[in-house]
Amino acid sequence: MRDAPELLERARELTGRRLTRVRLVTDTTEFMKLESGDVLELEGRRFVLKGTEYEGRFGLDEQPKYWVKRALDWEDGSAKIIKLVFFEEFEMALGAFKVRCFRSPAKEARILALVRGNPNFMQGESLQDTAGNQVRVLDRIHGGPLDHHLQELECGHQEYFERHLRRVLTKLSVAFGAIGWLHTQGERHGDVRRDHLFVDTDSGAWPWIDFDYNFEFKQNPYGLDLFGLGNVLAYAVARRDVTYQLVQQENPQAAQDLRSEDFSLIIKNRLMNLRKIYPYLPASLNNVLLHFSSGATVFYERVDELMAELTPAIAELPEEED
Amino acid sequence: MPIWNRILATVDEHESSLQAVRYLAGVLGGSDACRVRIMAVYHAPESNGHPAPEQRAEAAAQRKELLLGRLHVARQILVEARLPAYNVSTRMEEAGGRTIAETIMAAQRQGGFGTIVVGRRGVSKAEEFLFGSVSSSIVHQATDCAIWVIS
Repeated sequence: MRDAPELLERARELTGRRLTRVRLVTDTTEFMKLESGDVLELEGRRFVLKGTEYEGRFGLDEQPKYWVKRALDWEDGSAKIIKLVFFEEFEMALGAFKVRCFRSPAKEARILALVRGNPNFMQGESLQDTAGNQVRVLDRIHGGPLDHHLQELECGHQEYFERHLRRVLTKLSVAFGAIGWLHTQGERHGDVRRDHLFVDTDSGAWPWIDFDYNFEFKQNPYGLDLFGLGNVLAYAVARRDVTYQLVQQENPQAAQDLRSEDFSLIIKNRLMNLRKIYPYLPASLNNVLLHFSSGATVFYERVDELMAELTPAIAELPEEED
Repeated sequence: MPIWNRILATVDEHESSLQAVRYLAGVLGGSDACRVRIMAVYHAPESNGHPAPEQRAEAAAQRKELLLGRLHVARQILVEARLPAYNVSTRMEEAGGRTIAETIMAAQRQGGFGTIVVGRRGVSKAEEFLFGSVSSSIVHQATDCAIWVIS
């Protein structure tokens, strides 16, 4: 890292800020020391940093992700997200289970190369710094996560069902198919969540983001991804997470009819048998959700099994009105 | 064509996997009509999970040592049950990119084993959905051999 006054003018031009100094960074190992206005040089390309990304998950306060930076391409000024190498190992809680997870820059770099040009996944490339860190330089997606998109639709649930659900699930099925394709390539997403599925307002695509979670598996490498797809589907159908507490609050009579087998196999208070509170949902769609419930006797083991039932179920949904 | 009295018994890192071997010992005790291969599947630690090569090597060594220990104990159980030592062999197979069940089934085909003996830990439905079940997968995959699932 060195002061680079020769870069000051261009950095000011790109960022629109009155920067007083610019540092040229070629080794990103100590990412906590990076500041706004620093210029990263990776494999001969330059990016000026604009700030740190924040992540707010499901209503929690936004947390800074110091290893993820907002940046601009030095040449064309395009917006980038730069993910620096941060090895983190932790236990992910899945209902009563804990899964040992770790961040894997190498996995994300591998998948980025695999999905290049595929609109169903975020786009970018991996560039090495002088210390050999695999820095991922990602194209910024204009838009937001799926849940934000669905919340923007101002209507009640029945109207959502009649006017929007078919379109939403048709788009979702493309995204699900993309995860299935990833599996056929021997890769897994690793953290399938509704806020990891973006709605790109420029292209209209729904790309998956953030593939850097990894975990050790021995028997079923894709189970966690399938579990995530079930949660995303239930969310998209209800346009929210429906818990026992929520039903009890909104419809105490319906809550009395709920049984343990109606809820998620893994997250015990998340309702999967949504037809019990939204009776207009077709049985075919509800049956797909029931495969993720405690009452299920047969589970989807592969995405194509899920798609084989989801696709005809979508065809039964009401056509969108003009 | 698999040979019925060529038996593939599997052990893993769980102590409970030896239960299946003990059951096998009880059934075959004293018999010299069967040849038993005891197999353990080794999964190399994810290179991405242990980025430092020395950490990875240490984790790999620990895993291998544990499995070799299980293989040794399993062999002792069978020999002490009066199976001739020359009829009991052990092998550790590397999974590579395969699942445990796929690795076991590949060994079955390659060795012409007519019977597979596998323990069942009794995982819950939820665990089976998230992480899979070796015994269930073997039962689904097997087409030309007998499977003993020992709970």
